[in-house]
Amino acid sequence: MFWKIIFGALTRQKSKLALIAFTVALGVSLATAMLNVMFDVGDKVNQELKTYGANLNVVPKGLSILGEMYALDPAEEVAKRPEQHLREEDLVKIKMIFWAYNIVDFAPYLETKVMLGGQAVTMMGTWFDKHLTLPTGDEVDTGMARMKSWWDVTGFFVRDDETHGVMLGAALAARLNLGVGDSFPIAGGDGEALGEFIVRGVFHSGGDEDNQIFVPLRLAQRIAGKPGLVQRVEVSALTTPENELARRAAQDPNSLSRLEWDTWYCTAYISAIAYQIEEIMPDARVKAVLQVAESEGAILQKTQLLMFLLTVLGLFCSSLAISNLVTANVMERSTEIGLLKALGATTVSVTLLIMTEILITSLAGGIAGYFAGLGFAQIIGRAVFGSAVTAKMLVVPLVALLVLLVTLAGSLPAVRMLLLLRPTEVLHGK
Amino acid sequence: MNILELLDISKIYGPVKALQNIDLSLEQGEWIAIMGPSGSGKTTMMNIIGCMDKPSSGSVILDGESLSRLSAEELTGIRRDKIGLVFQQFHLVPYLTALENVMVAQYYHSMTDEKEALRALERVGLRDRAKHLPRQLSGGEQQRVCIARALINYPKLILADEPTGNLDESNEGVVMELFRQLHKEGSSIVMVTHDPGVAAHAEKTVVLEHGRLARITIN
Repeated sequence: MFWKIIFGALTRQKSKLALIAFTVALGVSLATAMLNVMFDVGDKVNQELKTYGANLNVVPKGLSILGEMYALDPAEEVAKRPEQHLREEDLVKIKMIFWAYNIVDFAPYLETKVMLGGQAVTMMGTWFDKHLTLPTGDEVDTGMARMKSWWDVTGFFVRDDETHGVMLGAALAARLNLGVGDSFPIAGGDGEALGEFIVRGVFHSGGDEDNQIFVPLRLAQRIAGKPGLVQRVEVSALTTPENELARRAAQDPNSLSRLEWDTWYCTAYISAIAYQIEEIMPDARVKAVLQVAESEGAILQKTQLLMFLLTVLGLFCSSLAISNLVTANVMERSTEIGLLKALGATTVSVTLLIMTEILITSLAGGIAGYFAGLGFAQIIGRAVFGSAVTAKMLVVPLVALLVLLVTLAGSLPAVRMLLLLRPTEVLHGK
Repeated sequence: MNILELLDISKIYGPVKALQNIDLSLEQGEWIAIMGPSGSGKTTMMNIIGCMDKPSSGSVILDGESLSRLSAEELTGIRRDKIGLVFQQFHLVPYLTALENVMVAQYYHSMTDEKEALRALERVGLRDRAKHLPRQLSGGEQQRVCIARALINYPKLILADEPTGNLDESNEGVVMELFRQLHKEGSSIVMVTHDPGVAAHAEKTVVLEHGRLARITIN
């Protein structure tokens, strides 16, 4: 009979209960969208921030020691000690560390001087869009075109297998009066003619690169006479915001206890990723660009806090709305509830009946709200990040718990009213 | 043997004395009508007899059990087990069928029995309307469902509050005939009414005035 009463109430009071279900659906859709975005925002914001540059620099070990002594930045270090190198063939190892999937992109650089229009110009060899096959069989596409996505490029990035295609910095191109498609001669640093080259693209980076010429790494190695060598590698990695443990580890990993060390090593701290690259490339020293890493962490934490607060606010509003609707529903049905009490129903049994009805209604609203929320999350993902938001399974139990808590909290005034309701008041008005 | 005894009961709501020093008894199988103008205390007396309210002073003994010291939950149990309620406004659950409305009383009493509920509806002439919702029934039919619900648990006492107050003359006749039948079968009935014609069906008429028992008339 209990379920007959519930079924009767649900099926024959559709419009009244639909409003409660709709309110729950609104709250749940907001919570689902926000929670999914919140859990995914780390990756999304990280991805977004990765488009603004590398957060790790890999340089030869000997060169790094000098750089630390004289507080040089990696590019300056390389310029001062061009004889220190890394081997190009070792670079695939970067994608084989424990946190390989967090390595978004990386690009090597080899610098040399060439003569262009009678001027000495820095030529930078790099990977533009390199396809790599790892020893594990995995395939990876990486390179500068992905890491410098904010560059304003006219024309195209050069293909890595080109032997005569180059990209010119905007300032250099303007100085030499060259544009996309133009051919021009390049001479080596010693004045020896290297041949005619074609401008594939002109870029504006806003930095020193605007005065440089970028060519495929293989070409730069040939011109510099350094086959198979690179001077430094920029790495863009998805990282976890730094904390006290990460800072201590960055100073000296050996100072950590075994448990701390495991925690640190198995968390995507920038220092842990740097450490793991050094483990796999013993001749290299990896330096974190801490300003970038810390800014990323701060932005990420603030974004997540904002999402969390919006979720709490949305649920609080839903709870208030549910409270009003359930209370109104109980008031409207006070005669019926009084009658059940008059027929011998205890307060507990009537409360159980009404709460079951409300919870089923909320569950229906919650399920509808969950799927609507997934849709909203995709809309937010597309609008803000330009990509889909991954639906997190963790959100399902969280939302179920939230529906339960919000419904129970919202129903408290109605339950109180049920406890106080006396049959005489509603049946006879006394 | 008395099924009901009210011993010097009073009910006071703040400055209002709704009932004052009422003494009344009802024998097993007896039918009494309670009459009086508005505000005379009829409904208050009804609520006290129906275990929906407690007197401010005095004792109520129902089927040999004193109700004075019982808690609200215990009074609910007494009401469920011993009293059948018939209301002026019918008070049927709007989203349950006639049959389900009868079964609700079974559910809160012990356990549901659809066949028995159908027999109760048959007794009030509504077996063919068992699957109808209250809004699909006339006022008289709704009141007959209400009576079937009151009878379903074989109560010691039937308490009817203005059972014909919302009915037209023909339906009033049908309902009063049902009460006559119940009385004939031995049911004890307390009926509150404004209508002397309805009250005349009872064996005794108890008249209340200003919360006091004014007189008892044998019909």
